[in-house]
Amino acid sequence: MNQIADVLVIAEQIQTDLQSISLELLGAARQLAGKLGVGVQAIIMGHNIGDIPQTLIHSGADEVFVVDQPELAEYTTLTYRRALITVLESLPRTPHIILCGATTIGRDLAPRIAAYFKTGMTADCTELDIGDYEHKSKVDPSKIGIYHNCLYSIRPSFGESLKARIIGPWRNPQMATARSGAMEPIQPDTSRSGNIVPVKVNFQETDFRVKVIETIRDVASNVDLTKAKVIISGGFGLGGPEGFDIVRDLASVFKDSAVGSSRRGVNAGWISYSHQVGQTGKTVRPELYIALGISGAIQHRVGMGKSKTIIAINKDESAPIFQYAHYGIVGDLFVVVPLLKEQFKKALASAGRG
Amino acid sequence: MSKGFRMAVLVKQVPDTSSVAGVNPDGTVDRARAKKMMNPYDKYALQKALEIKSAYGGEIIVISMGPPPAIDILYEALEYGADKGYLLTDKQLAASDTLSTAYALYNVIQFLGKVDIVFTGLQTTDGDTAQTGPQIAERLDIPQVTYCEELEINNGRVRASRVIEGGKQWLDLPLPCLITVANSAGKIGHKRFANVYKMKELLRDKESLSKMVFVVSLADIGADPNLTGLAGSPTVVGKTWKLGEIGGSCVMFKGESPAHEVELLVNRLIENHCGIEELLK
Ligand SMILES: Cc1cc2nc3c(=O)[nH]c(=O)nc-3n(C[C@H](O)[C@H](O)[C@@H](O)COP(=O)(O)OP(=O)(O)OC[C@H]3O[C@@H](n4cnc5c(N)ncnc54)[C@H](O)[C@@H]3O)c2cc1C
Ligand SMILES: Cc1cc2nc3c(=O)[nH]c(=O)nc-3n(C[C@H](O)[C@H](O)[C@H](O)COP(=O)(O)OP(=O)(O)OC[C@H]3O[C@@H](n4cnc5c(N)ncnc54)[C@H](O)[C@@H]3O)c2cc1C
Repeated sequence: MNQIADVLVIAEQIQTDLQSISLELLGAARQLAGKLGVGVQAIIMGHNIGDIPQTLIHSGADEVFVVDQPELAEYTTLTYRRALITVLESLPRTPHIILCGATTIGRDLAPRIAAYFKTGMTADCTELDIGDYEHKSKVDPSKIGIYHNCLYSIRPSFGESLKARIIGPWRNPQMATARSGAMEPIQPDTSRSGNIVPVKVNFQETDFRVKVIETIRDVASNVDLTKAKVIISGGFGLGGPEGFDIVRDLASVFKDSAVGSSRRGVNAGWISYSHQVGQTGKTVRPELYIALGISGAIQHRVGMGKSKTIIAINKDESAPIFQYAHYGIVGDLFVVVPLLKEQFKKALASAGRG
Repeated sequence: MSKGFRMAVLVKQVPDTSSVAGVNPDGTVDRARAKKMMNPYDKYALQKALEIKSAYGGEIIVISMGPPPAIDILYEALEYGADKGYLLTDKQLAASDTLSTAYALYNVIQFLGKVDIVFTGLQTTDGDTAQTGPQIAERLDIPQVTYCEELEINNGRVRASRVIEGGKQWLDLPLPCLITVANSAGKIGHKRFANVYKMKELLRDKESLSKMVFVVSLADIGADPNLTGLAGSPTVVGKTWKLGEIGGSCVMFKGESPAHEVELLVNRLIENHCGIEELLK
């Protein structure tokens, strides 16, 4: 038997819809497992989850632990915590690595699990790898040494404009959450086979301390933001739903464009959720991203920061978006955008001539 | 105190990256030289506690773990209307990751006795993990609401909304609980003039101040030093390097004539071969 234990993915479903982050995590897990020479396990929790376990196997899992019980129909911290702990404690071997999505569920659940097992965890990774680590610091002599097969959890620290590699080889599982859109899923293969292991969870009274009163979700028609080459996004600075007319108008000068929004634009009811870009919306990476009246909060940035060219138009010179846009115009978007549209048209005309 | 709620608000001192001092041209931070400030996310947490206090009454205790100068953010919180402050400071705490930070802060909360609600910010602007809050809740064995925007309390039950993908969710839970407050919740108001004035007086009257702001060590609160700092941290920051293209690289166009700025921008896009011509129709 391999000395190293498996890589485990905490898969996520919402209303029995398998979330794409799960497939991305499986892709990352396969890569890590390949380097370690181990297998990939997955856990899925929910109720009436149908063929999700099969999908997980087709997408890279070798073994899937399934908890399918009515108590798990809707996510709550403490019920999912109980289910996850039950599964993890039932395993003959503690996983070498556990990966979870940096979603509002993953960031709620995973830190508690890490605290329960008193193990290390890295947040919001954008890259994962395996490698060696030599610990030299004498502050805690018991930690000194050379370690192999460590999880390299790599994450940006935007506040400090740093990328950091976090390492914790002293204790397994080595845990990390990954941002959606950061990892590559593998091509699903329906001929892949694997083990499906049902697990029964005994809940305790205290697991039901939190009750869901109401969930408001807008899962309107799908807008394919992720494929467009140009995204024009509007935010609260648009002032109202009619503000999106100017966004659409600018989008119309491009061949392959789509309209995006910040969360505030969506929350205000000006446009549907399917247009939202950011941590709780879509992760996009177009050739050109133009942000109109968007302040550029971190949760917006993580969804569009990798766009090839970012242009921001904002009347407030100190808006955070100017810290990471490539080009910025300080001014009233209602004045600037029509001018910009004209200028783009001119540019095209002269490009056509040249 | 019979009426109202006893609340703890956790606040961290972080480098002020909006100031020029200690921020290198590439956006990286020189921690020793950087100006310090209260983690901006923690102001949303403090605001929530102030709202609960003004609606139902109660007491707000701000807690920070950090080096001695971090006491400044406790003073600042008092100016906003907090009642008391605790600074946990100890050499042993250096290089704490979130697990050991959560252990240390959990011990401060235990030291305070009964607390109805623990508020934390969503995340910090330096470590930026959002892990500390849930890890404290796990230690305390209490329910939590992360990404909380709205909060009310009726008959001892908490009703809270949290941000989720594509919407929001309303939860019902008992006290005590831990709440991490979203930065899309209400912004903090202004400092009260009376509080600012009182703080000035207090800073001159060390004896009265020492009854409101307490500096404690690990030994004082009975925490196990082996579970804190580097010794208690299962992770270390192995290596850091610069994040490309970030910080001050934005080419800004601002001037009297928007038409001129727009022209300059588009010309620049063409000069820089952004492929803009191919994207237009
Ligand atoms: C670049 C970088 C990356 C790091 N990555 C990781 C990582 O992935 N995993 C890890 O375990 N550690 C990590 N650390 C260490 C960790 O950030 C801190 O040292 C830890 O003390 C607090 O974590 P945080 O800043 O992420 O706080 P968060 O968990 O983001 O803070 C949430 C809330 O907890 C409260 N809080 C946090 N710290 C304090 C405090 N000192 N006093 C009072 N209240 C507080 C505040 O209310 C805050 O809003 C990293 C550090 C750096 C510099
Ligand atoms: C858990 C969580 C998840 C989140 N997920 C997301 C997410 O997925 N996506 C997202 O975008 N946000 C998300 N947010 C919200 C995020 O924190 C911000 O609140 C949001 O992005 C702000 O939207 P905004 O920039 O449109 O609004 P604001 O911050 O209000 O900014 C409006 C901007 O418009 C400018 N402006 C106003 N009028 C004009 C004018 N006439 N001309 C030019 N400029 C003008 C202003 O200067 C300001 O900078 C999330 C928050 C949380 C807590």
